[in-house]
Amino acid sequence: MKTRNRVLAILGVLLGLSALLATPAHADGEGDGRVVRVGTEGTYPPFTFVDPSNEDLTGYDIEVMDAVAKEAGWSEPDYVQSTFDALFPALDAGRIDVIANQVTINPEREARYLFTRPYTYSRGVIVTAADTDDITSLEDLKGLTAAQSETSNWAQVARDAGAKVQSVEGFAQAAELLVQGRVDVIVNDNIAVLDYLASTGSDDIKITGNAGDEISRQALVFPQSQQQLRDQADQALERLGADGTLADISEKYFGADVSVENPDEVDVTTDRDPRSWGEVLQDVAWPMLRGAILGTIPLTAISFVAGLLIGLAVALARMSPSRLLSAPARFYISLIRGTPLLVQLFIFFYGFPQVGLTLPGFLAACLALSLNVGGYAAEIIRASILSVPRGQLEAATTIGMERWQAMRRIVLPQAARIAVPPLSNSLLSLVKDTSLVSVVLVTDLFREAQNAAAFSQQYLPLYMFAALYYWVICFALSVGQGKLEKRLGRYAV
Amino acid sequence: MSTPLIEVHGLAKSFGDTPVLRGVDFTAASGTATVLLGPSGSGKTTVLRSMNVLETPDAGLVRIGDASVDFGELPGDKATRRREIRALRSRSGMVFQSHHLFPHKTVLGNLIEGPVQVQGRPEDEAVADARQLLEQVGLAGREDARPADLSGGQQQRVGIARALALKPDVVLLDEPTSALDPELVGEVLGVVRDLSQQGWTMVIVTHEVRFARDVCDQVLFLDGGVVAERGSAEVLTDPQHERTQQFLRRVLEAR
Repeated sequence: MKTRNRVLAILGVLLGLSALLATPAHADGEGDGRVVRVGTEGTYPPFTFVDPSNEDLTGYDIEVMDAVAKEAGWSEPDYVQSTFDALFPALDAGRIDVIANQVTINPEREARYLFTRPYTYSRGVIVTAADTDDITSLEDLKGLTAAQSETSNWAQVARDAGAKVQSVEGFAQAAELLVQGRVDVIVNDNIAVLDYLASTGSDDIKITGNAGDEISRQALVFPQSQQQLRDQADQALERLGADGTLADISEKYFGADVSVENPDEVDVTTDRDPRSWGEVLQDVAWPMLRGAILGTIPLTAISFVAGLLIGLAVALARMSPSRLLSAPARFYISLIRGTPLLVQLFIFFYGFPQVGLTLPGFLAACLALSLNVGGYAAEIIRASILSVPRGQLEAATTIGMERWQAMRRIVLPQAARIAVPPLSNSLLSLVKDTSLVSVVLVTDLFREAQNAAAFSQQYLPLYMFAALYYWVICFALSVGQGKLEKRLGRYAV
Repeated sequence: MSTPLIEVHGLAKSFGDTPVLRGVDFTAASGTATVLLGPSGSGKTTVLRSMNVLETPDAGLVRIGDASVDFGELPGDKATRRREIRALRSRSGMVFQSHHLFPHKTVLGNLIEGPVQVQGRPEDEAVADARQLLEQVGLAGREDARPADLSGGQQQRVGIARALALKPDVVLLDEPTSALDPELVGEVLGVVRDLSQQGWTMVIVTHEVRFARDVCDQVLFLDGGVVAERGSAEVLTDPQHERTQQFLRRVLEAR
């Protein structure tokens, strides 16, 4: 299959150019070579996952999508990875053009979105822990807790059957909760479950029955505004079905053609041998470092510098005798400190596009983080300025300085020294807070850990490894703080 | 007699409902040392700070040389008043009780900050002057020290040099020895005595009566926000007012 350079894809997100430039301008029939932005989890094998041996995004849905793009005359698609629950908001916000992620066709979705013809026919199955025997049909789900992606079709099925839904970020996480006994049941696509069982060799969970009799159909989904793209994709799928391409791809992954109704029993015995955690860590070390270099570190650096500038301006405004300046500053500080960072990120990334302000993921993340840092830094800087003895300002006044000059040359340099320890705390918090940006489609080091975890189920070593990365970055920063304090501390008041 | 260098007239100031100054008047000729004495709360420090507009009086006039501000008169516009205050401030240098040196700058940096940043003088010239001033206050060779590395007496001498570096017409000293350990008082008073002999015009708030007797040309004894007694240094040996007598007795007995 085609190799795909994910470094370039990440850079694309980083610069945010692809997202801005790929807005549909014209589409006069087929073959216009356009770049279509495809949303997908990348953590749902065998449909969409990152192959650890070469770091390529691959899977059944990815290969189908590639074939569709080629058949429709588009350029190679631009894949954007995110959790399932973030895919539909991204589609609504115009950040992606299509979702290729085993999206099941149901009436609610059909009312809001445009589907192509199905390329997967599957059925839902009920999955429990190995030692559970009394949950075999949807009727048994009443009152139980099911682990599901919140916005997936299977979550709706479980809910309709009377189960309480525990929201998770993908099937691998759901399976882990089931093994740990934190939930009772999972409803999911039979193919995904069979693949999980085959690839992990797990006998901790099992399929106990069908979730209803209905065959579910999965298709590519476009927003209402992309009628033309949908039509092109739909026609491409028809031709790919007719010439046997879909059947070939399906055979490769499932040992059966799932792209037609009433497929044969699937056989997902794969060559993906369970790997030791050592191998998993070895494979993920570089992607995580790259996630740190391209995601975590620049996000932290840009947001911290911008946040400090915002904080300084807001602190000065807050101390101004003019209410016109101090009141908005107070409000801003209170707003930032009184709302969760995650909510702020979502407002910037998913909220603002609804009023016409669509920022690329990296920029939106930088803005949200900068404003967040700014709110906290403002109070730290203000407290530091106030703790510079009043006599310093008086002494500056008596040597003839104007207020601003005294602030800049006498008060602020001393306040800076006082502010270093608390601001360093903010910086360390920021490093760790950047792990939240994976929800706004930015690939950082934690996102890479999640990708690897979904594929290998090696949660403990992988997340410990991610923690180690963060710790190393924070440790280096603490050393820098110590040096800075020592340098500034050459004078004591 | 020529016009006095300093003129303070009808100075009044309240902090909230508490009147601190209730009409203070005095003049001082160029080259003289004026000592302000009085019990705490008498308003002497407020007089000094008003001369530099660190406190804004409610009423009264302060003039040094050709710069004056009439605080009783409402300013025509704020920019004019700011210009007047800036001009008045530029005529004096201030020495604080607890020096208020800039801790993030070296001794030399403290001295040239005003001349270079505010007065816009060339740095090499300001540095040369600063070195000379440091020699004068007995701190030659300590140019690169930080204030925190100096003793209290040395810090205060740098504070005096910083005030002189502005080349002011008048030096204002606000209890320059009150925050010092007793054994360090002498070195600072020695410097002030030298200044007096070199002909600097000074206004000094102090409790050092014997020192005041040595250097001053004029004594103002403040009590309850007015000048209760004034005169030459003899006031300190032969006070006429009962309040002055009480005060001097108490201060001298404490020594």
